[in-house]
Amino acid sequence: MTSARARRFTVGAALAAGILVSGAGDVRAQAGGMPAGTPPAMVATYESLADAILAVKNTEVNLVRAILGTGHAHAQVELDRARKAIKAGDAKGAQAALEGLAAVVGQLGTEGDSAVGAVRKRLLEGGHHHNAAGEVKGIYDEGFVVVTRAARQAFLDASKAIGLLARAPKGDALETEWKKVEATWASLMKGSV
Amino acid sequence: MLCLASACLAASGCTHAGAPAPPAGRFHFVNVAAASGIDRITWAGRPGKEHLLDSAGTGAAFLDYDRDGRLDVYLVNGWRLEASAPGAPAREGSRLAERGRHALYRGLPDGTFRDVTGEARVAGEGHWGSGVAVADYDADGWPDLLITGFGPNVLYRNRGDGTFENVAGRLGIEAPGWNTGAAFFDAEGDGDLDLYVASYIACTLDEVLAARATLDWKGLEKVALGPFGLKGAPDHYFRSEGGRRFVDATSEAGLQDRGLAYGFAVRAADFDDDGDLDLYVANDSDPNYLYRNEGNGTFREVGVWSGCALDANGAAQASMGVAIGDAAGDGALDIFTTNFSQDFSTFYRGLGGGFFDDASEETGIGPATFLPMSWGAAFADFDNDSDLDLVVASGHIYPQIDGHPEVLGTFRQRNLLLENRAGRFVDVTAEAGPGFEAVQSSRGLAVGDYDNDGDVDILITNLDAPPDLLRNERGNAGSWLEVACEIPGGAAIPIGTAVTVAAGGRTQRRDIASGDSYVSSHDPRPHFGLGDAATADTVDVRWPDGSHTVQRGVAARRLITMRKGS
Repeated sequence: MTSARARRFTVGAALAAGILVSGAGDVRAQAGGMPAGTPPAMVATYESLADAILAVKNTEVNLVRAILGTGHAHAQVELDRARKAIKAGDAKGAQAALEGLAAVVGQLGTEGDSAVGAVRKRLLEGGHHHNAAGEVKGIYDEGFVVVTRAARQAFLDASKAIGLLARAPKGDALETEWKKVEATWASLMKGSV
Repeated sequence: MLCLASACLAASGCTHAGAPAPPAGRFHFVNVAAASGIDRITWAGRPGKEHLLDSAGTGAAFLDYDRDGRLDVYLVNGWRLEASAPGAPAREGSRLAERGRHALYRGLPDGTFRDVTGEARVAGEGHWGSGVAVADYDADGWPDLLITGFGPNVLYRNRGDGTFENVAGRLGIEAPGWNTGAAFFDAEGDGDLDLYVASYIACTLDEVLAARATLDWKGLEKVALGPFGLKGAPDHYFRSEGGRRFVDATSEAGLQDRGLAYGFAVRAADFDDDGDLDLYVANDSDPNYLYRNEGNGTFREVGVWSGCALDANGAAQASMGVAIGDAAGDGALDIFTTNFSQDFSTFYRGLGGGFFDDASEETGIGPATFLPMSWGAAFADFDNDSDLDLVVASGHIYPQIDGHPEVLGTFRQRNLLLENRAGRFVDVTAEAGPGFEAVQSSRGLAVGDYDNDGDVDILITNLDAPPDLLRNERGNAGSWLEVACEIPGGAAIPIGTAVTVAAGGRTQRRDIASGDSYVSSHDPRPHFGLGDAATADTVDVRWPDGSHTVQRGVAARRLITMRKGS
């Protein structure tokens, strides 16, 4: 019960209460003959709140991109390991690296691992859909911020193909799959997929 | 035949029309529950199902608790709720009207059952039950019963004298919460049965009692909220220490439920055929988990990239139940998950090595399961023609849909029987006899040959109604073999044992599990339909330690016992 969530709620409630109290004062002043309309202080507060809300949405995009970027970097590390192991004829090492690569490419497709998924679920529970319009159009899955359905499918396909490669590691097949990953990644970062 | 089946599955042009037409009327099931003495109503909350706990239902098990060679039946029960007072407003919530008693029915020689719940002391401890897994956790030769539910788990240790005692608290596996599917399996290869328990939602009884239908359903009705909007609860893994106590080793073993997924069904099997048991967890509205056993007591979650976490479109589905078997007949285990209405239940075809692809569409399973809401399921050879058919328990969670049957049917639905015709699954429900004509909101499902007549019967639980015991009346027209596996001095049920039978040019494989379907447990004696074969060429039992026992030239149409070391 002393969770971060509870603390955030307390801070938010205090802020809201402050706004209401100051706004009520303006209303009382208007009743004394001032022109009708929303008190400027309230509008200004709402402006500030809008800035904060929009900034938070941008922050969400940036954070999810950072999560994906970390995954992409991790994928490159696993790729490098796999390449070296295949070149050295180290089947066991190649298998481990390819499975690692498959896992992180899969996480690109699911926009983070299951722990990130739990956060996404919580946001949905609260009614937050970052790409609500895109979800309606079928471009995004529910709650996804950056990864489109098309990109998700491409990453998932590559993930499975790389996982299958782990059973019989082959350098050229790996490069083929990695090219697909990179193409999807580049398009996603450009916002064209 | 084996090659033909797999080739047919792989070929895009293989259709039902191209498969040989089977003789008519080969399936005939009759509900004999009441006539057999099985009449316990399994309660499920309040009539309006305002909370998901009201509509989750309960599981069932076939087991031989007294080792008399006849299957017994265990039913898990829930609670009955009603408005706090007659005419009280809904805001006052509901109150407990009845704590349903679980039921143990002993199989009798004449094919009927006697209720022995009271004398066996297995009525439950007053908790709202959910699932059941049967295993001899302490290897004393007697099958024990794990009961999950809303509250602490109950582990009824079989004392071998017809009575049981609850040892869950003493053994450290109570883990209070809303626990659902569970599976005993030897995760570490040390001979001890470890335990995985899935959990669904974190909520309190007050929340359950106060729940109201607030979720908008197609603009037509208000229905129970969830699972989105409710917090998922973490699953548990308990490592056995010689069957004397269990230790929570969830994180240590790599089985941490980081996604707090809404867990329902659990099944252990050797999906990658490397000799140790992996674990599949079907999650509602979250990706399913496949935990691959790394061989050292730890697991790695590989569901997404192995192809069995999401559907063909990459989407997580509302998975409730699971069926495992080599339905494609190609030697690799396949996974079937049951899902929400207006969505395919999914057939993940095993590709070998622990990889899968979604073959729901091409096998016909997807279209056949699209409309109903599906729960318990099992692969079994119901017509003994040497391939695995599929039975699925159906029933919606919103009784409110009954006001609009034109949209997607009703709360009570017909269960489904799909016949395997050379890898293509065909809906034969309408011709499967009166047992498949009734409509209920069904949940748990277990299969087993309770009358020992050589064909597989079906036990199904229903919400707020007695169960169905569907006696198979024509299955034994085909040849068959049933294999009871025993480890002298070992556990009564050798979980993780795989049996392979070669007969009539086909090779079939079954495995022995504890915890399956939707919160249920099947007959632990593998059943094989052999078609026209009078003899099985070989019966090969691979024991959990990797050793084999093989018999050759085994006459069909009988139950045989294979003993380790003999």
